[in-house]
Amino acid sequence: MSSLYLDFPMLGEIDQLQRRVEELFGGTTSLRAERRGAFPSINIGSTAKSVEILAFVPGVDPSSLEVTTDKGVLALSGERSAIPVPEGGKRYAQERFAGSFRRTVELPQNVDSSKVSARYLNGCLRISIAKEEPSAPKSISIQRGE
Amino acid sequence: MSETKQNGTGQASDHRNSQQMGYPVQRAVQPPVDIVEDASGITLWMDLPGVSPEKLDLQVHDANLFIKAEADVVAAEDLRLHHAELQVPRFSRTFALSTDFDTEKIQANLKDGVLKLSIPRHEKARPRRIEVQAG
Repeated sequence: MSSLYLDFPMLGEIDQLQRRVEELFGGTTSLRAERRGAFPSINIGSTAKSVEILAFVPGVDPSSLEVTTDKGVLALSGERSAIPVPEGGKRYAQERFAGSFRRTVELPQNVDSSKVSARYLNGCLRISIAKEEPSAPKSISIQRGE
Repeated sequence: MSETKQNGTGQASDHRNSQQMGYPVQRAVQPPVDIVEDASGITLWMDLPGVSPEKLDLQVHDANLFIKAEADVVAAEDLRLHHAELQVPRFSRTFALSTDFDTEKIQANLKDGVLKLSIPRHEKARPRRIEVQAG
């Protein structure tokens, strides 16, 4: 898997089941196929050299985004304003998140939190945190005991 | 303007339909929208994170507005995904448009992963004030 998306049909089936269960128990059903809950949605992956976090923050001015690391926890916060209703107009749908948000990700032990880079492109914030040492697989030689 | 849904369950049924029709399975996320209306027409905002203008496909056909998009996926070869809240880099949503709207004059703008569509009303469909003349 070499992308920050998980294109795996079985998870879709699980989501569908989850939705059915929510319907049965009278939970809210959303038209969104994204996993409900926190904004922004986050995908997390890792390479041999870094931990990669992709946060989906469309329509947010990158200068208003704040990324911090403290005691092994990465925090992303910011704000997205609601679309105003025009004078004499009507609002038909408001599904997009509006308001201030904050999400935190616990980082693994082996990252160097002084080496963090963040880049915003087309509404995606990609945060890359370098690992302390490349965790190359190594084989351990076994010595015969006397 | 209303949403067109297939079989009522959105994504999962699209998946099944495409299988029945012999097309390759293409799962897609239904992106959230904000829609407001004023006298001149409708304005729609849609979250499409990661989508560049080249990967956005807008089509009007039989008074249906089809919005399809694909996010750019750039990642290192050895990347292993641990956690995914947005699982597929594809978006798809369809809306039925009333004939009051002038589909020839739809304006689309994609900025920072948000699509803004301005769908104007036909001149004749706009509300008018009629002057009453004293007889």
